[in-house]
Amino acid sequence: MGLMRAVFDMAFRPGMQRMKPQGPGWPVRLFHIDTGGCGGCGMELQALSCAPFDMQGAGFGFVHSPRNADMLVVTGPLTRAMAPVVQAAWEAMPAPRGLVCVGACALDGGMFGENYAVMGGLERRVSIDLAIPGCPPTPMDVLDGLRSLFRPPVPAPDTQGGVAAGGADGAGG
Amino acid sequence: MTAASLIRAGAQTATPWRFELDELGWRDMVAALAHDHDSLPFAGLWCDGVCVHALFLPHGQPLAATLALDDGRYPALSPARPVSAFYERAIYDLYGAEAMWAVDVRPLLDHDVWLNTAPLSPTPGMAGTHKGLVRFQPAEGLHADGAQRDGWGPATGGMGSPFHVGLAVSGGRVLGAQSQTGYAHRGLALRWRGSTVEQAARLSSRVAARCSLAHQVAFSWAVEAACGHAAGVPAEHARVALLEIERIGHHLYTLADVAGLAGADLPASRCMMLRERILADVAPIVGSRLLMDTCVPGGVRVKQMAQMAELCSLVPDIARPGLAELNQLWRDYPGLATRLAGLGTPAAEVLDRTGLDGPVARAAGRDCDVRRGLPAYEGLWRYTAGPQHGTAQDRALLLLDEIAESLGMLDRLAGRMGPISGPGTLSLRDGEGTARVEGPWGSIAYWVRLHEGRVAQVFYHTPEPATLMLFEDTLRGCAADDIALLASSLGVEVAAQDG
Ligand code: SF4
Repeated sequence: MGLMRAVFDMAFRPGMQRMKPQGPGWPVRLFHIDTGGCGGCGMELQALSCAPFDMQGAGFGFVHSPRNADMLVVTGPLTRAMAPVVQAAWEAMPAPRGLVCVGACALDGGMFGENYAVMGGLERRVSIDLAIPGCPPTPMDVLDGLRSLFRPPVPAPDTQGGVAAGGADGAGG
Repeated sequence: MTAASLIRAGAQTATPWRFELDELGWRDMVAALAHDHDSLPFAGLWCDGVCVHALFLPHGQPLAATLALDDGRYPALSPARPVSAFYERAIYDLYGAEAMWAVDVRPLLDHDVWLNTAPLSPTPGMAGTHKGLVRFQPAEGLHADGAQRDGWGPATGGMGSPFHVGLAVSGGRVLGAQSQTGYAHRGLALRWRGSTVEQAARLSSRVAARCSLAHQVAFSWAVEAACGHAAGVPAEHARVALLEIERIGHHLYTLADVAGLAGADLPASRCMMLRERILADVAPIVGSRLLMDTCVPGGVRVKQMAQMAELCSLVPDIARPGLAELNQLWRDYPGLATRLAGLGTPAAEVLDRTGLDGPVARAAGRDCDVRRGLPAYEGLWRYTAGPQHGTAQDRALLLLDEIAESLGMLDRLAGRMGPISGPGTLSLRDGEGTARVEGPWGSIAYWVRLHEGRVAQVFYHTPEPATLMLFEDTLRGCAADDIALLASSLGVEVAAQDG
């Protein structure tokens, strides 16, 4: 894990550009990795990528290679077997890049917590650009979360909403 | 003697259907099983650290054999029931118990990266020493001379659970395929150990989201069987309604995935639109889009109990017009039927060897459906017959037929469903119970052991190991580019198997 943390820490250097700039680069391309969950969050991402949710219209699309991705979308608790896979995907992504955690498991391990095979969530390990809680969050929760990345920054984080977007310091590097 | 009579000749335990054998008796049972494929359907092999237990479900009734581990070893069942190899590999990884004469001894879950080897044994071992990406460990003979080595997963960008397939490819065709799983192992057996029934039920919701309700019902029935409790007719009707709603949603999700991977975007989006239309009505009444946390031992817990009967009428009303259109579109969409008709026909011998049931077996002409014998389905279930040549197209058409049949069941339930109250209180007594349901991809069996008011152990058997074996075999000869499509069409999933 030490190596992985080092890679993440390097990648999330404070002060870097927060997100892929809007403009010719649209849509924002997302690469999904299930790091060991029940598959519920993945199902809701699949629903989001299809009709009637207008994910493409909102400026987001899933891709099949991290080399083409702007943001890494993680679901499920991080198992020890999947940690190096996440690291490899992250390293393959071009900069600037960002990290989205979808669901309770990806954030803090959810109901699986930590044990001999599971490291828990990413929350306490790396900076996250966007955290979408829920078990699982609905496709609309995820879409609202993604769209919040492009809203103007608010002075204080909204603790009432279902979505917590990372500050500029949690930026994709 | 038959395998069943050899089991019954063992020492009767406190559980009426479980018998303790000595090593010779166990070996005789394995030898008899090799010749007795039909009458003793295998439903899993588990370890509790002291003994191994093999569960069979002859005519849907449980029959289990127990053998005390001898110096951490036991004779394997896999020479007689090949799918048992998955359980033997898992038992070795979790408990360090070795299956003698096993047909496959590759690691299944532990790829030398855990904090301990044999983490569930009384004396766990040292931490794994491997760093970096998990290595693929092919069995002998995978990589034929001249074949190119290739691999798929565990991170494909798709939405399913992570697993890897190692491939030998020549000229774009697959010569051999072998899956490697364990990436999603999250320690369910450990989490269940000593949990309250409520906690355990929540966990059963999240074994595999695509079959969440089926896992919840099987778990709840197994707990109720252990306690001698019946949830009552209204609660059972509600459970059947939810099981069929899950099946409808699951089949539409699968059909959308298959169509999308086959390049038929319009049928894919129609399937997902219809699913969303149904979920828009289901979620406010049930309280969860994926039906999580709705079935507990003692009954059901949905948000609007009083509206369950209404939901049974609502879903068919919403779904029928869309389903009729979808049926037509699926048959008429240019190229779709042709693409799927040439793909993924499982060999009959492999179907028999793996013992796989569910839609994959039914679309290949097998007459198997757990619902036929379940009291909760009495007067509701009817046989669904469709094309039976076993191709991906046959499976798709069968899923469409099964959706129609599930809608029919909801119609029949709407007129019967009485007022439902919240879950009753269970008096938890020490004991063991089993149960089986027909999940969306085949039968799901649970075995629960209760001790001092808590859940001592939970084991389950799902179609996943048999499906993986079938997938590996069916891939041979296919275009390497069809892996994702074939996996989707056969229902390959590993969230439950990884545990
Ligand atoms: S957050 Fe919930 S739904 Fe998502 S993977 Fe974890 S257990 Fe499954």
